Amino acid sequence: MRTVLCYGDSNTYGQIPGGTPLERYPFDRRWSGVLQRELGNAWHIIEEGLSGRTTVRDDPIEGALKNGRTYLRPCMMSHAPLDLIIIMLGTNDLKVRFNQPASEVAMGIGCLVHDIKELAAGPRGHVPEILIVAPPPMHDDIKEWEPIFKGAPSKSRELALQFEIIADSLEVHFFDAATVASCDPADGFHINGEAHQALGIALAREAEAIGWN
Amino acid sequence: MPDMRFAPPNPLRIADRSSGLNAVSVRSYNERLVLSLLLQSEATTRLEIGERTGLSAQTVSVIVRTLEQEGLVAKGEAQKGRVGPPTVPLALNPEGAFSVGISIGATHTDIVLIDFVGSVRHHATIDNPTPDKSSNHSAFLATIKQAVEKLPLRARERLAGVGLALPHSTTHGHDEPAYFKALQSEIESQLGISVFVQNDITAAAAGESMFGVAKPLTDYLFFYLGANLHGRLVLNHQIHNGNSTLSFDVGILGLEAELHRQGQSVEPLWNRSGVWPDFGDLLTVWEDRLIEQMKRSYSSVAQFVDIKTIVLSSYAPHSVCEDICRKFERSTPHVKAIAGIVTPSPKAVGAAGLPFSSRFMVE
Repeated sequence: MRTVLCYGDSNTYGQIPGGTPLERYPFDRRWSGVLQRELGNAWHIIEEGLSGRTTVRDDPIEGALKNGRTYLRPCMMSHAPLDLIIIMLGTNDLKVRFNQPASEVAMGIGCLVHDIKELAAGPRGHVPEILIVAPPPMHDDIKEWEPIFKGAPSKSRELALQFEIIADSLEVHFFDAATVASCDPADGFHINGEAHQALGIALAREAEAIGWN
Repeated sequence: MPDMRFAPPNPLRIADRSSGLNAVSVRSYNERLVLSLLLQSEATTRLEIGERTGLSAQTVSVIVRTLEQEGLVAKGEAQKGRVGPPTVPLALNPEGAFSVGISIGATHTDIVLIDFVGSVRHHATIDNPTPDKSSNHSAFLATIKQAVEKLPLRARERLAGVGLALPHSTTHGHDEPAYFKALQSEIESQLGISVFVQNDITAAAAGESMFGVAKPLTDYLFFYLGANLHGRLVLNHQIHNGNSTLSFDVGILGLEAELHRQGQSVEPLWNRSGVWPDFGDLLTVWEDRLIEQMKRSYSSVAQFVDIKTIVLSSYAPHSVCEDICRKFERSTPHVKAIAGIVTPSPKAVGAAGLPFSSRFMVE
């Protein structure tokens, strides 16, 4: 049995584009569920999506609980041993309140990778395989979210390259979600059911392609 | 103390979004290691690459991704195994890189364009360049220029370089490595194309080793049957050039002389059509002489190293080479004789492999 942790934000939680934070796709239609279906029973998929989660930042408005770094350690400990950790974060770090360029968001992803390596919650105390997924870029029209995400759409288009640079330098796996999915125009930054399907299938192929012993 | 974890990222290779091939200098040792494996095997998986190189799955992933972005590597369809997760094979993208090989022969010059997996896309036979008294090698310059100008645009954009295979007679017994190096840098500076020069017999041996029957072989005695018969010893994939310029006049020139005496046409011997007419007994007599010489060479080498395989490469028809190999095996028990499959010009194809090995493989 291989265990996979899917660590993300509202797009891992499965929030429906244009809906309220309470509207959520069912598990089998969320990318983690699609991943489970594609990989089969020999894999155990753990879904950890929190709306508003950042990479490493305490959110002064939504609260410190949205900080992806502080929750990641206990989360890994509860689910160890982990074979693979998939991280798809970064969108929330682009909120105006943080005032960060894409490269700083990538540095935040780098912090998470260092923490994962340090804790070594993989089988027999090894470091788990780490797959960084760059979220699909936001649309320019982000509806009523404009004040919260002002300036974010153009930064979001730089995330993939910045994440890949970090992934390359820390020698971890990388996947650009924009190659298979895009955000839904309903709110401009959440992914719809079709995108969840495509992403789940693509990530299953990525998980399989890792040279597992 | 500064914390190196939070220094600016220092990627193995900055994710390269440009088209075309990267400069030579940025290709890391590990990347070459992975490409070497791919150039040596039909298809492999990331797991196999990891096992054979000792690199971690994540490092292999980074390298494979950059090679995919560059178009050098193509991802295959996942293969479902009966046990364990499916494996995803990786293979070189044939369209990923191209190379031109030029071989100056006794009478003709062969030019080939090969793709990244060694398939010959174009082949032309032209007259040998005429040496210009006022320059070292303007004749090569014109030939290379001509060859490159004929390439389709896509091949020109992804051209790894030009390999030039020169016979010992053309280099006039110059100190070869130094002469080749000087020639190489002069051509490069004049044409702006990467050029690699090598002895032609060594090139033919490299051709069979990279793209032909010798791919899985580590140790063997390599024979090249051209106008004359030449030999190279290959140990642990390394082609030993040595200083031996020895060749034997039992080659195709010998057959030509015999045909001449009998008043028969010699044209079919050199036209590279891969077919010879029925020469009857004459061929048998010539083959026997040739095999005698091969046996002598083999037994001299066998006194020093334990070699159980010989490879015979030639532009002579494959059926003729097969015939020679079978006869050799009958006369020398316990030795396997394999006829080469690199066509139409083993030397030119081998020369074309040179830019690939120099730019993409580990030494």
